[in-house]
Amino acid sequence: MTKLLQPRTYVSLLALLALVLIPLAIQSAFVFHLAIQVCVFASLALAWNIVGGFTGQLSLGHAVFYGIGSYTAGLLVAQFGITPWLGMFAGAAISMLTALVIAYPTMRLRGPFFSLATIAFLEVARLLIIHEESWTGGSAGLNVPLQIGLPWMIFREKSAYLFVAFGFLVFTLFISWMIRRARFGFYLIAVRERVDAARAVGVNAANAKMMAAVISAALTSLIGSFHGMYLTFLEPSSAFSLEMSIQIAMFALIGGIGTVAGPVIGTVLVLPVAELARGWLSAFGNGTHGFVYGLLLVVVVLFFPRGIVGHLGLRVLKLIDQLPSWPLAIQKAAAPQNPNIHYAPKGMPILRAVNIEKRFGGLKATENVSITLHAGEILGIIGPNGAGKTTIFNQLSGFIRPDKGKVEVLDMNGVWVSPTSPELFARAGIGRTFQIVQPFAGMSVLENIMLGAYLHTKHRADAEAIAREVAELTDLTQLLDSEARSLTIGGMKRLEVARALATRPRILLLDEVLAGLNPSDVVRAIAMIRRIRDSGVSVLMIEHLMQATMALSDRIVVIDLGRVLREGAPIDVVNDIEVIQAYLGKGYTHAESS
Amino acid sequence: MIKSLKHITAVVGLAVTMSVTTVHAQEIKIGALFPLSGGLALLGDESLRGVQLAVEERNAAGGINGQKIVIVKADAVDANQAVGEARRLTSGDSVAAIFGSYASGIAVAATQVTELAGVPYFELGAVADTVTGRGLKYVFRSNSTAKNFADRSIESLTQVVAPALKVDPKTLKIAIIYEDGPYGTLVGGFQKDEAKRLGLNVVESQSYSAKTVDLSSLILRVKSAGADIVLHTAYQNDAVLFFRQAAAASYKPRAVIGAGGGYSLNDTAQAVGAPMEGVFDVDFPQITMNEAGAQGLKEFVASYQKHFNMPPRSGHSLVNYVGAKAFLDILAKAKSTDKDKIRETVLAYKQPAGSSAAGWGFQFGENGQNQMATTNLMQWQHGKLVTVYPASVATAKPILSN
Amino acid sequence: MSLLLQLLVNGLLLGGSYAIISIGLTLIFGVVRIVNFAHGEFLMVGMYVVWLCAQHLGLHPYASIPIVVLILFGLGALMQRNIIQPLLSADGHIQIFATVGVSTALLNLALILFGADIRKVDASFGTQPFSIGGITFVSGQLITFVVAIVVATALHLFLRHTYTGRAFRALAQNRVAAALMGVNVNAMYVLAFGMGTALVGLAAALMTVQYPAFPTVGSYFVLTAFVIVVLGGMGSLPGAVIGAMFIGLIDSFAGYYVGPDLKEVVYFLVFLSILSIRPTGLFGLGQGSE
Repeated sequence: MTKLLQPRTYVSLLALLALVLIPLAIQSAFVFHLAIQVCVFASLALAWNIVGGFTGQLSLGHAVFYGIGSYTAGLLVAQFGITPWLGMFAGAAISMLTALVIAYPTMRLRGPFFSLATIAFLEVARLLIIHEESWTGGSAGLNVPLQIGLPWMIFREKSAYLFVAFGFLVFTLFISWMIRRARFGFYLIAVRERVDAARAVGVNAANAKMMAAVISAALTSLIGSFHGMYLTFLEPSSAFSLEMSIQIAMFALIGGIGTVAGPVIGTVLVLPVAELARGWLSAFGNGTHGFVYGLLLVVVVLFFPRGIVGHLGLRVLKLIDQLPSWPLAIQKAAAPQNPNIHYAPKGMPILRAVNIEKRFGGLKATENVSITLHAGEILGIIGPNGAGKTTIFNQLSGFIRPDKGKVEVLDMNGVWVSPTSPELFARAGIGRTFQIVQPFAGMSVLENIMLGAYLHTKHRADAEAIAREVAELTDLTQLLDSEARSLTIGGMKRLEVARALATRPRILLLDEVLAGLNPSDVVRAIAMIRRIRDSGVSVLMIEHLMQATMALSDRIVVIDLGRVLREGAPIDVVNDIEVIQAYLGKGYTHAESS
Repeated sequence: MIKSLKHITAVVGLAVTMSVTTVHAQEIKIGALFPLSGGLALLGDESLRGVQLAVEERNAAGGINGQKIVIVKADAVDANQAVGEARRLTSGDSVAAIFGSYASGIAVAATQVTELAGVPYFELGAVADTVTGRGLKYVFRSNSTAKNFADRSIESLTQVVAPALKVDPKTLKIAIIYEDGPYGTLVGGFQKDEAKRLGLNVVESQSYSAKTVDLSSLILRVKSAGADIVLHTAYQNDAVLFFRQAAAASYKPRAVIGAGGGYSLNDTAQAVGAPMEGVFDVDFPQITMNEAGAQGLKEFVASYQKHFNMPPRSGHSLVNYVGAKAFLDILAKAKSTDKDKIRETVLAYKQPAGSSAAGWGFQFGENGQNQMATTNLMQWQHGKLVTVYPASVATAKPILSN
Repeated sequence: MSLLLQLLVNGLLLGGSYAIISIGLTLIFGVVRIVNFAHGEFLMVGMYVVWLCAQHLGLHPYASIPIVVLILFGLGALMQRNIIQPLLSADGHIQIFATVGVSTALLNLALILFGADIRKVDASFGTQPFSIGGITFVSGQLITFVVAIVVATALHLFLRHTYTGRAFRALAQNRVAAALMGVNVNAMYVLAFGMGTALVGLAAALMTVQYPAFPTVGSYFVLTAFVIVVLGGMGSLPGAVIGAMFIGLIDSFAGYYVGPDLKEVVYFLVFLSILSIRPTGLFGLGQGSE
């Protein structure tokens, strides 16, 4: 309850209510119309943002869901007399199905390919509706019977429309906010930023994208149904309109995609100006208002390339925070519910690759490799560049499927399982880091770590608690609230490890985690890895830094030309003639090992 | 930054208040809702010119019961904008009535608003039958409908073209092609119905996207079907495209009967060139009519020329002028802006055929439709669109080469 | 049989028109990596320039090619320098909306300056119909087709064998790495964009022989051009040409056998099917590149 009395909350609520209060005060049908349009388009932009902003897929064909919503509700009321309050759910159901149909083939598309595919779907829908004129009315359009009353969503008083439209806006805003705060929102942003890293912490990227598409489609469809009743006339080119699809994306972008408030702000700022401009400038030559609108768009985009929230957000927030507030009750950090992780008895094999092979075209990258990791050990994998270490690594974490042989993990019940995707490897207890560190932009260090923690819990509080604990282990406690982007390379590497650790793995795969660190950072990292092993996690690491590998590893495996060259205790491996030859070439057989 | 935010708020606030304007006692405001930008801009603008001329003429003669008529322009490209503009006109600007709108989609959408708002809507050019077919009480239309267009096309075929070719119409192979928007679909659909009713032989009926850049496959289909007569409902670009590509494919039907739209525009004839010669066109009355059947036509043309420094670009200005003139007359007769009084006056308004510059009489049915609105058959002869049927307004005889 | 041949010829010639329009777009797409929604409007501007040259200078569209190409190059360079460049570091998506703004502004500007009337150029050369063995076509179409192939080939060789061409390809793959290799990124982008719009200018000159100019003419072509470029693979010239032929053929055959009102449905569905198998287009530069 005390949350309500924070300035950010009550200012936002007041601003939102202004949408209803101002028209009620002015009592002009046109102002009502404007407010209704703002509510409708802001809702559409918010719904779009779930796919376009949070998930990062620029859909330019979203009107297809709007059209399905308005036509379904319209047809049901015109042909069968079914109230649009029910009809809109039918529309939403159809839209959700359509979203699945669209999402499936477009899953692998990126950027302009995805955008154009969505446009293609939109056009197909539009042309089919025109073609099937016998039941859709075709180009001539569909008239919604003018029955006045709440059951028909048609009112004489404009204020009634406004209340309904506002209701939709609040609903959509709420859903959008909930998603952003919940695990699902984290997953979406992670998928948007770095799909591989997301999958490595157990996110099923495909499912997440489809879920986002389905939710967005349902919301867009509901609003479409309402708007259809508002306009009382449906026609294919307006309902399945490419211009509208671009427009709602634009509102979200101008406001700031990926934020919750962005789409609303963008709509509030642009739409009324556009409508009013059309009103005034019509008096001048034909096309004047369109010209001015186009120019304004370019100017706004040039001045606010990161969206209004991106540029003005911080300043406005600072101002708002200066307003009076009521003290927040201090929330005690919840004790983390530690999932019961059974660590296998020391020495027992827990991860093994058995005779794995991988070819890329004519190149045999991995040839008959067998590696076993035992519980409680640190296994180092070394070898000259191009030996195929990373390929093996990727096969051990599910990013590459071996052509022959198998990779098995001992799960918590003592059963050997062969996971088939990165997410499943993560769930089986494998955490990994990536060589090229790139934290998730737009999230703080804490949130980055929480992403891993979400593997075992849905609740934000729990995830936060786990993240804080992991941060202790990896020396990140001081940096938890800073933006992940601002870390040093050392910090980013520790963040990679932290995120993997937050998934409570039993096995941690480290990919050249010491590369690029200065000597003091290396010392800290070595200590960290020891702490991790001591906490029960088995470690497998690829490394080039010989001193660290020697210091840390219980055993070392040497890979050369895709094969296992030598395996054994560090001191034996490092003095082996063949190993020296592989690294340094045949002329250096007598060089001292460092 | 905050300063500019304040500025923005101030401007927006001012804008909102400015949209709620005051009405002067000596003025009566009427809205003019047309597509003035976008794909239909040309004929939307031409239609608006008709309204402007009618208003000017009326103002010169003292306005409506002494009040000067002021036009409030509104541009709407689609149904969504039509609703918005209709709301703007009926609230902030408080117009006494709205005149419009050339495009059926805009008319249908806007009238749903004006009906609920109780503001009379005078349609002057949109042809969809649903404009007056929904049981609305305050929507009135002066012009002919899509069904009129279709019936007249088929009638031209049976009463003019077939006799001139000296054949029985039932032996002719007919192709009905049309753009897939509301205009084409409606007229094309009614043409198919009427042809079926009369037992005519339709060998091909096809729609196509108005924004197409290629009609060669359509023409091949029509050619393969052996069509002698083509009934084509098109806008400007597709009409030009059709003739160009038909010539390229060496396809020349015995007669082409267009249905308004692009077929009535001088620009189209110029762009098409020689193949346009002899092409028929069913449309609203054009300016090349026999004055005896259309009183006041010459004055209209002169007035247009004077005002816009060019001859009328199509017949749309004429019919919008004629309709607006009649409705302004009605507004004056009603001596009130009360919607029911206006409706009463509309239903009581009667003018004989031939009394208007378009040759139309006026008599409104219960649904608000002018039952005396007609279409004529024109033909392009020597680069001019002349009226050839019916005889009362014809200025030339139909020419048919064999 | 002659029907099939005619449909084939129609399809290929239509493909030629689409190809000449798409070449510029794929160059811009491929190098600058931007979805230029104003592409159709550049075509429109080019067509008006050609018409103006015909009206006031009495030039045949083909004769005005140097003028149009130059003017369009300048416009493109200006747009890249002043509108796209400042946005290069921003979210890729926001650049799209800058081009949407330019598109709307140009379209309405044309409406203000020239009105909605269609402006046809009377050209005697390039409009004669020919008939060879019963197959009909128009000379202008054939000329456009040939020019499209020639220009695409020339551009392809340019990209392969000149420094600038290699710089373009480097930028297409990795902007940062290219910069580190000494490529002047901004200058190259301006050049690429300008060349792309210059090519559209060429297309405009060729198309004006067949189509009139009017404010919304760009929107008739732009969506198809995008489909072709994406289908062929962004930045791939062979892809653009083959994609254009492919779409032209579908247009022609589907238009005849399925119906003119559904032919777009057919080619959109084909487009979607191809993308689902090859996510970066037929000849794409690879890896779902953005």
